[in-house]
Amino acid sequence: MEFLNLVIMFVAAVLVLRRPEKERLAFGLLVTSVVLMVVLFSIATRTSLLPGINY
Amino acid sequence: MKRDTLYSILALAVLGLSVPVGIAVFMLGFVYGDSPCVMCWEQRIGMALVALTGLFVLRFGARPKYVGLSILIGAYGMLMGLRHTSMHAARDVGQGFSLEVLGAHTYTWALFIFWVTVVTMGALLMAVKDRDVAPQVRTLGPLEKTAAIVFLVVMAGNIAQAFASTGPPPYMGQGDPVRFSFNPKHWVWSLEEYSPAPVALRGRWNIEKPAVAGLPADPAAGPFGTLPALIVGSQKPLGASLEGSPTDLAYDSATDRFLVTTARGVYITNATLDRVVRYTLIDPGFSVDLGRFAGAAFLDGQKVLAVGENKSYVVLRENDKADADANFKYFLESFDKFDEVSRSRFGTVRARMMYTMSAAFDPAGKSVYTITVPNAKVKRLVVSRFDAGDMTLSEEFVPKLPGGSGLSLQGKRSLDEFYVTGACVAGGRLYALSAAYSTLLVIDLASHEVVEARAIPGLQRPIGMAVKGDEVYVLSEDGVVTMAKM
Repeated sequence: MEFLNLVIMFVAAVLVLRRPEKERLAFGLLVTSVVLMVVLFSIATRTSLLPGINY
Repeated sequence: MKRDTLYSILALAVLGLSVPVGIAVFMLGFVYGDSPCVMCWEQRIGMALVALTGLFVLRFGARPKYVGLSILIGAYGMLMGLRHTSMHAARDVGQGFSLEVLGAHTYTWALFIFWVTVVTMGALLMAVKDRDVAPQVRTLGPLEKTAAIVFLVVMAGNIAQAFASTGPPPYMGQGDPVRFSFNPKHWVWSLEEYSPAPVALRGRWNIEKPAVAGLPADPAAGPFGTLPALIVGSQKPLGASLEGSPTDLAYDSATDRFLVTTARGVYITNATLDRVVRYTLIDPGFSVDLGRFAGAAFLDGQKVLAVGENKSYVVLRENDKADADANFKYFLESFDKFDEVSRSRFGTVRARMMYTMSAAFDPAGKSVYTITVPNAKVKRLVVSRFDAGDMTLSEEFVPKLPGGSGLSLQGKRSLDEFYVTGACVAGGRLYALSAAYSTLLVIDLASHEVVEARAIPGLQRPIGMAVKGDEVYVLSEDGVVTMAKM
């Protein structure tokens, strides 16, 4: 899934640089990538969502 | 600040974020074979996302949605960095996970970089003017174009590494990845992170506080089954008046006095537990969090120790001329009967994730002992010894059963089921009273073996014990003292 996320970011960056008129699409891809990062990190740390320290 | 200067600084910031991500993939990954774990991947992606939002700003101006999103990513990145760093932060010096860069492991750098991101974006916001917010498509200057090209090259390298290390969807990063290789034969694509696992906020650090209520009292139902019982001589209510329920009991043969603790009280009583000789209530806050006292011991004829269930402790010295004004900061009542000698924490290794409900002092070995109580997550009987000189962990062991002791565990039962709430040392042996199954364990301090076990019938929620002569004194939570012949 990290591979997919990086590809999404790469496409977003290309749109920003080469097709700025597609700003809305690029921003949509950016937000999608952020959400995907949060989801993947949450899956990886779901057994202890907060930092594993003495509370 | 001039607009060109501002955007040049931003372009440098994009470069500044792209370079470490580039070093991570081209140098650490492709040259040294480093392979990010799943958390490292998400942190690396977070840094790249901040750089990408920087490109958005360079192209479209400092619109609030771009600056705001980069702050959100930076803030979440700090959480990711803290979450990852916390797994290794308490290890010994130099230990950690994967590669170290300039004296710190990569996840620690992630925490720092995300912090810098948030600070930078805050500073950028202060420099933004109205015209930066208006819809626009900026023409990139040479430095800005360079930043964009570097970003794309770095992303291309990461895409290649991610394909090899994590695979196409639905595969995702792994907790313990294998070394990076360009040879597909060594690529591992895994779905392990999708395995069923409980969802929790604090994970293994969510440990319930200890309590004796509800523990099984019948000795015959314990791990040893039927045991020879001590003969209970008499029972009587505690004569001394306390603030709250008692939490532990200790005895000093030199002065023939008892020590009783409550949640925050320390009471020295006479030889028959009828009268309080001196007492004080400890202020448990505003310094070391002492929690609720659960262990008590005489360190000598004048010094007493009270240990919280969280293994924090306070040492008091009796003093009839104590400075009441000076002691205001330490005590809540009876300011002129003790001086506070020290207040700190016992640190353990095996007992780290367990609370204690007992403390004992061995004058021969000049050591303090604590014994764990099991909890829902960790069930292990651990004895920890602390040198009384520096109050530092000096020994830790899990008691064993010797072959020829005559004791045998029933079926798959375990010593870890015992719930020790009272302890004392006498004659080189550690006496540990378990509130669960009302059993007195005798542990040899040299061999670390349980050499004897006795049932004490009729106990209800015992929370402390002491040995006086040939009698065992057991104090229950309801203030009843039970005396039994050894």
